[in-house]
Amino acid sequence: MSTNGIHVKDLTKVYRVPEREAGLKAAVVSLLQRKHKEVRAVDGITFDIEPGEIVGFLGPNGAGKTTTLKMLSGLLYPTSGELSVLGHLPEKRQRELLQRITLVMGQRSQLNWDIPAIDSYDLYRAIYGIPQEQFTKIRDEMIALMQLQGLVNKPVRNLSLGERMKAEMVGALLHQPQVLFLDEPTIGVDVTMQRRMRTFIQEYNHKHKATVLLTSHYMADVQALCKRVIVIHHGTILYDGDLAGLVGRFSAMKTLVVSTSDMNGKAPDMAQYGNVLKAEPNRTTLRVSKAEAPQVTARLLADLPVTDLTVEDPPIEEIIETVFATPDEIAQ
Amino acid sequence: MLRGFQLFGLFSRISILNEMQYRANFFIQVFQSALTLTTGLIVMNVVFSYTQTLGGWTHAELLAIYGVFFLMSGLVGALIFPNIWAFMEDVREGRLDFILTKPEDAQVLISVRQLALWRLVDVIIGVVVLAIALTQIGQQSSWLQALAFGAALLMGAVILYSIILIASTAAFWSVRVWEMMEMIGSIFQAGRWPVGIYPDWLRLGLTYLIPVAFAVTVPAEALTGRLTPQTLLFTFFFTVFLAFISRKIWFYGLKNYTGASA
Repeated sequence: MSTNGIHVKDLTKVYRVPEREAGLKAAVVSLLQRKHKEVRAVDGITFDIEPGEIVGFLGPNGAGKTTTLKMLSGLLYPTSGELSVLGHLPEKRQRELLQRITLVMGQRSQLNWDIPAIDSYDLYRAIYGIPQEQFTKIRDEMIALMQLQGLVNKPVRNLSLGERMKAEMVGALLHQPQVLFLDEPTIGVDVTMQRRMRTFIQEYNHKHKATVLLTSHYMADVQALCKRVIVIHHGTILYDGDLAGLVGRFSAMKTLVVSTSDMNGKAPDMAQYGNVLKAEPNRTTLRVSKAEAPQVTARLLADLPVTDLTVEDPPIEEIIETVFATPDEIAQ
Repeated sequence: MLRGFQLFGLFSRISILNEMQYRANFFIQVFQSALTLTTGLIVMNVVFSYTQTLGGWTHAELLAIYGVFFLMSGLVGALIFPNIWAFMEDVREGRLDFILTKPEDAQVLISVRQLALWRLVDVIIGVVVLAIALTQIGQQSSWLQALAFGAALLMGAVILYSIILIASTAAFWSVRVWEMMEMIGSIFQAGRWPVGIYPDWLRLGLTYLIPVAFAVTVPAEALTGRLTPQTLLFTFFFTVFLAFISRKIWFYGLKNYTGASA
């Protein structure tokens, strides 16, 4: 077990939530005698993250991603299991650990909306005890990287969502943490700014050998940043490995795009080769099972005047969707 | 502790710079304070048109109490309530997570963030009223009395802070805490009169439940030469006790928050 990365073993979090039936009578009864239901938000997950790794944490809403991130950052006590971040037990919230981690939540703002971001940065400098000179240097570097010049002097409430998220990100990294927990950092941000934030995270990771655990609904974020992904569903891990492997394992289908020279209206019925996704004149997109792909390709080449043919994996979004739609069959 | 003061200084500086942009707020505050002061003085005059003393306090002495009351409510309004309010909002909106992931004592952090600058107008008014009252009483306060007054004032503020903090930790369990804060605020209003004039059950409540007595009456007693060393000592122990209890309850609430929140 590495003392510089993240170590998680059999981690479980069970919430006790009050349960009541619909109706006034049940409501009155529940005031006095409350029934509780146990919800296993995280159910025995195990993984290790090496220092410097960027790992994408994928799963539908309610899969247990945020609960796991909160346990890792010391905001929630685990119900059971082992947990270590940089060699510390997060729930103790020791200064040495908190000084070296950061948490960014795309849906919540830590900057004070009434004052300019640059003033909030000054507060973080004091809280983290960053030496003034070092602080100014890092701050100005990050502001330049995020193209926030001028914007950090305006009250945060006057910034656009994208600008605000960039300012949040700078604020969260001023103390140069070694572990970054990023929960949907790019949510609601336009594509250009998403790209800028990705580059920023990449450069930070590269420069500081920082460990990053990222959740995002945007597959573009994951594809650009993460070599490794952990797929979580119903509180358990469905997949842990590289992104390419995820595609190979969960995608039972291939997409064939076949272009032919003009056949003077004598085009054959393409449906005999596979599921037609898109039919254009002299160009057809087919979906076939991975096992049949080689034969279908051979038949196409033999039967038709093919000018071009590509075999592709379906888009990653689609694969993820399939994984979550029928987890039990595929996860076997 | 020292770090706490440093942070307070920095947070305050930023609050002040920010508030300076809204000078209209200053004039609104002055108007509001003047209105409160005038009504208070009129009521007091009406009362003293029927009697010479109230619970053993003369008109001038009561004015001193009123001065302390103004001073204390200014302090609470400028330093304590805005912080507690921000804390409860943070719990409701989940932003407390950002506080809890900072390498600093969370109670210190939530307690030093806000400064409602213009509420300090009440502190100034309180000091002026107090000065006038002392001149009217005509009795020279000794250094010792002044010192006792300062100590009593500080302890009173700590007691109020502890009580308000305890009440606010209810935010960890329930979301409707603001009503409770309003209630504490209204009860605090009772502090403009010496607690001695109230019936026993109310006096006990105002001493131990919502300790208005310690916050206002005791400091005023110090200035008017009524304070016994025993009362001062008792106040000291009570302050330490409440500060300790409130921190325990704070940790208990925090544990509940981190134990169960989603």
